[in-house]
Amino acid sequence: MRTLIRRILDRLFTSVAGLSVLLMSAALVLVLGPILWRGATAVVFQGTVEFRRMQLYEFGRGDAEAVKAEVAQATQARAPVYQMLDEFSEGILVEKLSDRAKDINRSFDDQVAHRVDAGTISSEEGRRLGRAARKLRRTLLDAYDTDDKDEALELLDEVLSSPARKDLKNTVAESLFKQAGKYKRIVESVDLTQRDTYAESLREVSDILRELFGPRREDRAADLAEVRYGVTRADQAARVLDRLLWTEKWVPVEPGKPLVKKRTPRAERFQGTPIAGLFSTVERDLDKMLRPETTVYWRFFTDNSTTGHFFGGVGPEVVGTLMLTALAMAIAVPIGVVTAAYLVECTKDTLVVRILRTCINTLAGVPSIVFGLFGLAFFVLWALPGLDLAHGSSVLAGGLTLALLVLPIIIRSSEEAIRAVPQSYKEASLALGAGGLRTFLTVTLPAALPGVLTGVILSMSRAAGETAPILFTAAVAVGPWPGSLLKPCRTLSYASYDMAVGDRVAQRVPHNQFGMILALVLLVLILNVAAILIRSRISRKLRGG
Amino acid sequence: MNSNQTPQATSSTAADGFDRPLLLTPGQDLSGWAFRNVGRALLFLVASTCILSVLFIFLFILREAIPFLTKSGYLAELFTSREWYPARTKPLFGGWAILVGSVYVTLGALVVAVPIGLLAAVFLSDIVPFRLRQVIKPIIELLAAIPSVAYGFFAVLVFAPWMQNTLGMDTGTNALNASVILAVMAIPTIVSISEDALTAIGREIREGAYALGSTRAETTLKVILPAARSGILAAIILGMMRAIGETMVVWMASGNAVQVPTPWWDITTSVRTMTATIAGEMGETVHGSDHYHALFAIGLALLSITFVLNIISESLLARAKRKRG
Amino acid sequence: MNATLTENETVTEETTPIPAEETSSVGQVIPAVQARAVHVSAAPRAASTADEPTAPPVIRSHEFSLLYGSKVGVRGITMDIYPQSVTAIIGPSGCGKSTFLRSINRMNDLVPNTRAEGRLEVNGQNVYDRRTHLVNLRQQVGMVFQRPNPFPKSIYDNIAYGPRLQGIRGRGALDGIVERCLRDAALWDEVKDDLKKSALALSGGQQQRLCIARALATEPKVLLMDEPCSALDPVATARIEELIAKLRDTYTIVIVTHNMQQAARVSSRTAFFCLGILIECGLTRDIFTNPREKQTEDYITGRFG
Repeated sequence: MRTLIRRILDRLFTSVAGLSVLLMSAALVLVLGPILWRGATAVVFQGTVEFRRMQLYEFGRGDAEAVKAEVAQATQARAPVYQMLDEFSEGILVEKLSDRAKDINRSFDDQVAHRVDAGTISSEEGRRLGRAARKLRRTLLDAYDTDDKDEALELLDEVLSSPARKDLKNTVAESLFKQAGKYKRIVESVDLTQRDTYAESLREVSDILRELFGPRREDRAADLAEVRYGVTRADQAARVLDRLLWTEKWVPVEPGKPLVKKRTPRAERFQGTPIAGLFSTVERDLDKMLRPETTVYWRFFTDNSTTGHFFGGVGPEVVGTLMLTALAMAIAVPIGVVTAAYLVECTKDTLVVRILRTCINTLAGVPSIVFGLFGLAFFVLWALPGLDLAHGSSVLAGGLTLALLVLPIIIRSSEEAIRAVPQSYKEASLALGAGGLRTFLTVTLPAALPGVLTGVILSMSRAAGETAPILFTAAVAVGPWPGSLLKPCRTLSYASYDMAVGDRVAQRVPHNQFGMILALVLLVLILNVAAILIRSRISRKLRGG
Repeated sequence: MNSNQTPQATSSTAADGFDRPLLLTPGQDLSGWAFRNVGRALLFLVASTCILSVLFIFLFILREAIPFLTKSGYLAELFTSREWYPARTKPLFGGWAILVGSVYVTLGALVVAVPIGLLAAVFLSDIVPFRLRQVIKPIIELLAAIPSVAYGFFAVLVFAPWMQNTLGMDTGTNALNASVILAVMAIPTIVSISEDALTAIGREIREGAYALGSTRAETTLKVILPAARSGILAAIILGMMRAIGETMVVWMASGNAVQVPTPWWDITTSVRTMTATIAGEMGETVHGSDHYHALFAIGLALLSITFVLNIISESLLARAKRKRG
Repeated sequence: MNATLTENETVTEETTPIPAEETSSVGQVIPAVQARAVHVSAAPRAASTADEPTAPPVIRSHEFSLLYGSKVGVRGITMDIYPQSVTAIIGPSGCGKSTFLRSINRMNDLVPNTRAEGRLEVNGQNVYDRRTHLVNLRQQVGMVFQRPNPFPKSIYDNIAYGPRLQGIRGRGALDGIVERCLRDAALWDEVKDDLKKSALALSGGQQQRLCIARALATEPKVLLMDEPCSALDPVATARIEELIAKLRDTYTIVIVTHNMQQAARVSSRTAFFCLGILIECGLTRDIFTNPREKQTEDYITGRFG
């Protein structure tokens, strides 16, 4: 019996141990999965005509003729929507209507005066017509002003059935009747007391439509790139469409309980109005208005971005990361390999060697933010200004700080690689008359090279991913393409942080957020896979492959 | 150092006497001596970069922290008061909550990481055949290779919303979030060093236990783990060092509220760690102000803690090596 | 007792008869020595039949000792090695044979804490003099190791390594040297088609011949061989022994071996070491047929070791 319990416990132990490995694999998938999946949407997505327009005007990319043709088609598809919008706005925004009426009247007066001068009509006739027109205008303006539906209809009918209509035919003043007719239609369907609310809702709708389709012909020269274009992606379009079709309000459901979000179709608000059909039209024909097609935006990794990373890619960040990493490696690899050689070749386990090892281990254990503090205090505030090289953050300071960070890694892996070279090679070389240095350079180091290379690649991946050491030494959130060693630069790591928590604009473009971190993770993954491959090649060679 | 004789004819040579001198000329002797010693000195100079770096790091952090530490009352306040308001006109530098925050998330991470890490190490060293090991090791290495900002990204944009929406918490950025992610980051360290310690134990001890009829679980728990305990302890301490020194994850995911969780077991509170304080506040600080020096003081505390932990783990690993002989 | 040794003949019948009760494992040894099977294909010239050498010794040691810290490697060695011959050093494991061999070209310097006493002269020059030109020494006293240790480079680069150290860079000159050495090491025909192949792809025996060729490339006067066949199978061993027989007219060869039969086959003089001390040194046939010291006889007859 006891044996049975022991056996069960043993099985349990084995499965729990296996479970832990499964948990780790699950953690890997859970962390990398969303990043890879959603980051991929920055590169592969359904791009709309607005995207292609943006690529053309912001990045100078694409076939101008084709884009223009597409834009024309899209505009055509959108036209009915705007027509409905305009029609309704005109009806609601009575100041405009009043101004228009006054303008018509003024033009009419001019026309009459002109005709009188020309002798087509007598001046008395002209005065009569003028009076009639003015009367009509007054009635119309009264109709515009009133909130009372019946009163308005009454006044409008008065205008429409005016005896002066025949007289004013074929004149400018005829527009007054057209206006009255239009307005009547609106009055019949709209609750005039709600005019202000309608005005506000109308503004909302028109804002959303601008977000969806971009500004209309009239205002294309806005400052921010994001304002000049509509939605560039189908997924964004779906979100904006949702906001167009539905309104959300917090309503109390039960006393004492928290408020609940309630969604109502926006079309309800405009029921009976000419604009009621706008929503279903947009919903139905959105594809024709935006023309989405599958886009593979490889240049994401090389393009600059517009303000706030709203459009574009992560090019400058990639370059900045590569610059910092290359600089750190250029400093750390020579120093590290030489130090490793010293440890292996010149050891007599003296006090010096022990101190050296302790220092290497200490360096390996320093937290990355403390490296950042040191970089700030030493490089940024003391050494570089002292040498009159740079005042403030710079790629140089960041590279030096990162070099210190990866130095212990390189030393450890290089030492291991050099130690792994069989002593027999060294013996053979010495027996042939080579000195210590030549033996090292021509025999030991080449034999240790794969191991050293693995360590270097892994250090590169580490240096590329570190954020804390460069926070105060090299990183900036906004800036030009990285170029000078003496200026700070944008990096993938810092920008990922910034887009995740700092930048409010970034929250509106989650695909770019994830795209940024995807670029970093891809870089790190590629480097690590390369290192793993090299290492397995070595072990296969050693085992006699 | 090479002789500069030209080669002889390429036909099979007769060994007709030693044609190259076996004695160094004084000139060669001197230059050889000089070359060797200058070379040695140069190598040492390069190698001493490490020693100098460590020295300078301590020096400069200390230099910038001292103005804060020497100002009367500040040092005591840092460790006793919970009121951290460095931006006020009369600033308060009570760092107790920040210290507690660091310890809190670290311990939370270890609670998760140590069992999983040890079990995985046992799994890899004792249970799994070689081929499967070659598949699992890259997984662990990938976990270790993911940059901390990517973990932080995941924590704040995927994990936190999930906790808020699915688990219904007030906020997704809290000590629990930070601890879990820190655990995931610490596990690879614990696994690899523990595994080294376990595999170094050697077959004989295992075979002895099995020969006496122990099951694998019993052997592992009662014989192998105790035998490897120095190495395993070192692994845990190194994992602890990783957790306590981590910046980006805690800065993004811990909520950054300067408070001590009450009651102490409420891990859904937002906390602030030392690393996040330095990272978050340094950008807004005036160089040379009290706040600036206070942040360096916190950095010094961090450096000292990790230095001590490092020494301990190093001596544990040395002891483990000595025991193996 | 001037028995002429050819490889097909046995050692003289005047070997001390073995008492019957001691036959067992010992009995296997002597019959093997007596009934030596023939595995050598070509017939190189017999080992030197000269009674005593005529030329002055190339290598002389006088009361030479080498200590590792406090442990003794060899003590009080006094012996001579004569040119254009093969001298074998035999003895049980750990008796200092390799230590002495490696002292000749100062390879013991690789071991920390070594200290030398006495004199060890090569060509009249004490190699443990502080002012010794190590490079020239090692290029003129070549060494072949127990386990073949070609560099992880091509066959060509392995052999060209030594000459390149000497400053020879010209393609033509190097080509010539490589071919000469490979021919001298009896490896040319097997590898001439692809000299760029990695040396590690060769078989064990081929690698060892490559190492010999590599040592020959610096035109040494002396070849030190530290148990060169112990890692090889019998066929490869036989080929190496052929090679040694071929080379012994040109080079001074000192070979350490734990295989007595091999020593008997290839050498003209033999030294017997035991526990760091030189027990006996003399003509091979004398050592094997009529040793002066009892220890030597015990070792030869297999009573220990």
